[in-house]
Amino acid sequence: MSPMIQTCIALVLVVFAVAGLIMRAFAKKKSFGCGDDCACSSRTLKTKSPS
Amino acid sequence: MALPAHISATAAGATSRQPVYALVGNPNCGKSTLFNALTGLKQKVGNYPGVTVEKKVGTAYSQHGQPITVIDLPGTYSLAARSPDEAVTRDVLLGRRADTAQPDRILCIVDATNLERNLYLVHQILDLGRPVILVLNMMDLATRAGLEIRVDHLEKLLGIPVIACEALHQRGLIELKLAMSRADLPLARHAWTVPAAIAPAVSEIAAALVEGDRKSPLVARAEALLLLTDQDSVRVAGSTPLSPRTTEILRAWQSRWTQEGTDWAGTLVSSRYDVIGALAAEVVQLRTEVGPSVSDKIDAIATHALWGWLVLGGVMTLLFFSIFTLAESPMNWIDGHVASLSDTIKAVMPPGDLRDLITDGAIGGVGGVLVFLPQILILFFFIGLLESTGYMARAAFIMDRLMSRVGLNGKSFIPMLSSYACAIPGIMATRTIEDPKDRLVTILVAPLMSCSARLPVYLLMIAALVPGERVPVFTKVGIMLFMYALGTAGAFFFAWLFKRTLLKGEPPLMIMELPPYRLPGFKDVAFHMLERAWIFVRRAGTVILGISIILWFLSAYPKAPAGATPTAQLAQSFAGRAGHAIEPLIKPIGFDWQIGIGLISSFAAREVFVSTMGVVFNAESSAENTAPLRTALLSAKWPDGRILFTPLVCFTLMIFYVFAMQCMSTIAVVKRETNGWKWPIFQTLYMTGTAWVLSFIVYQGGRAFGF
Repeated sequence: MSPMIQTCIALVLVVFAVAGLIMRAFAKKKSFGCGDDCACSSRTLKTKSPS
Repeated sequence: MALPAHISATAAGATSRQPVYALVGNPNCGKSTLFNALTGLKQKVGNYPGVTVEKKVGTAYSQHGQPITVIDLPGTYSLAARSPDEAVTRDVLLGRRADTAQPDRILCIVDATNLERNLYLVHQILDLGRPVILVLNMMDLATRAGLEIRVDHLEKLLGIPVIACEALHQRGLIELKLAMSRADLPLARHAWTVPAAIAPAVSEIAAALVEGDRKSPLVARAEALLLLTDQDSVRVAGSTPLSPRTTEILRAWQSRWTQEGTDWAGTLVSSRYDVIGALAAEVVQLRTEVGPSVSDKIDAIATHALWGWLVLGGVMTLLFFSIFTLAESPMNWIDGHVASLSDTIKAVMPPGDLRDLITDGAIGGVGGVLVFLPQILILFFFIGLLESTGYMARAAFIMDRLMSRVGLNGKSFIPMLSSYACAIPGIMATRTIEDPKDRLVTILVAPLMSCSARLPVYLLMIAALVPGERVPVFTKVGIMLFMYALGTAGAFFFAWLFKRTLLKGEPPLMIMELPPYRLPGFKDVAFHMLERAWIFVRRAGTVILGISIILWFLSAYPKAPAGATPTAQLAQSFAGRAGHAIEPLIKPIGFDWQIGIGLISSFAAREVFVSTMGVVFNAESSAENTAPLRTALLSAKWPDGRILFTPLVCFTLMIFYVFAMQCMSTIAVVKRETNGWKWPIFQTLYMTGTAWVLSFIVYQGGRAFGF
């Protein structure tokens, strides 16, 4: 893999990382508590149907 | 499923949707344990009051597979709410919450070992006129305490189904589910005559509530009784103010009684207790006299004025000793595999940005944090044990003596203890505190307790501070204990300061029930330990991975001219420039621009400091073999050749992290809990300011003494 291709892929990954963190930051506003990052439980819990 | 006529009339759509049960009871009577048993969920449980501070919704299934919604509500001793968590319970039951329909039916769970005290809430709930099922939990403990409860007789007296149950051992659940599935659930026939002096007021206020506030007649009567005993000082979202007409009638009666010298609230409460006392006398018999229980015997030592402190100190020492000794081998294993993965990629990929991003950014950053996973697991295992056995409540009891001197009480210590795991659930747990000022003070100081995110920073610095293998483990334990004690002392100091300046108020009286000791529920402890481990790993794989990749970019760009050393490249990169920009501010506390990069990035979360150091010092290293981060830190130097991470700098850095407010999630939660930006901004400024000042004193003082 040439250095140029490596640089392109690396920069794309950086853009994805920035976009991911920004989306996460905005999505958190909808979540309860810390957005489940610290184990404080969410307000509504989902249950599996009985088997 | 058919419901009594007045329920169908008041709860719109109640017959068309699945039945909704509210699960209510006194604190620490086993509500969440029963909720988990009914729904198959893993809601957090603990053997101390105040674990649940918000309503939680789950679905249980009847014996015939029909879904039943169950709402787990925070514990309360009475519907006269005194704190925000109790107000949630009151408002859901009275249908005041806009986001929750009034429950059709109520599962009232009581601690069978304290039936008389628990019946006060039951008595108030029967006033609501909803179908109620009474669950006598902890029947095994009641039997062990020598109590005989005539369940059938209680059922006859109250006229509602009464189910004997042991939620922890899943006993009595089938009977309970059968009762919950009943279409013809009866209404209580337990009549309570309101004292004659108060009865006309209750009727008049209830009528006004029906007309002016659009309450159903039965809820209106219950609300009227509450208004006469509850000052209703706690306002929560969803509560609606009373109509002017109702307020006027209420005030008129109160003013009349005040003139007559009638204690209306006391009369109502004592009248209820008379009825409850008679009821309890009929159904509860002390079969055998039992001497001091095992809990009493343990408490003679665990809550003793002197021995209690020694036990607490011993528990904390054992915790940190385990963290250092038990975690060593798995940490070395993870460390070795992270380094070997990095070396393998370096060996198979040609040099280039992508290789550097993977090895220096992703693996260096995430691997540097993941290595602390075994220690995080041990920390949460111990916290789970303390919560499950009931020792947490004893710790709060012991601390109450100290806390009363700073103007707080032991009730504030439960949120502070929770903050050792994470400040966010700790801050949410402050909802159990009645006084708004005490609650705010506790919110302001809770993040000073050393949370688990600080643990990787402390451990990394301790490894750099006392790197020798021959250093006794107790030295490391001692340093760790000191950091935790310093954070706790800082929290006490600022609580004392705030209570005497910004948030003046009388020190409150603590009333807290000491639950009996129980054998730890290893299943729950293991589940929550693994849950925390998963959260830690997920966070490393998302937030920390993202930040590490961005940090790699910021430390690799713009590119230095060909032939520049790795240090020169880092120095002229975006990250290096940011680090240099804040260096004048942090140089007086012994930190250089590279540490500055870590301080900036860890404003997102404290453990990001470790991953940043991984990225920064891996980027600086030109070696083909990846060295452990501890080794890389020890070889870091100032431009003049002096060692960067001297013992004094490592110690100062730990002091900084004890006090600095570096957690965006905490800031966001404080903003939500205080309804504004004023207090989170104040908190960030006072904590980070204190961190800088103390770091300055320690570093400059240390240098003056020749360290």
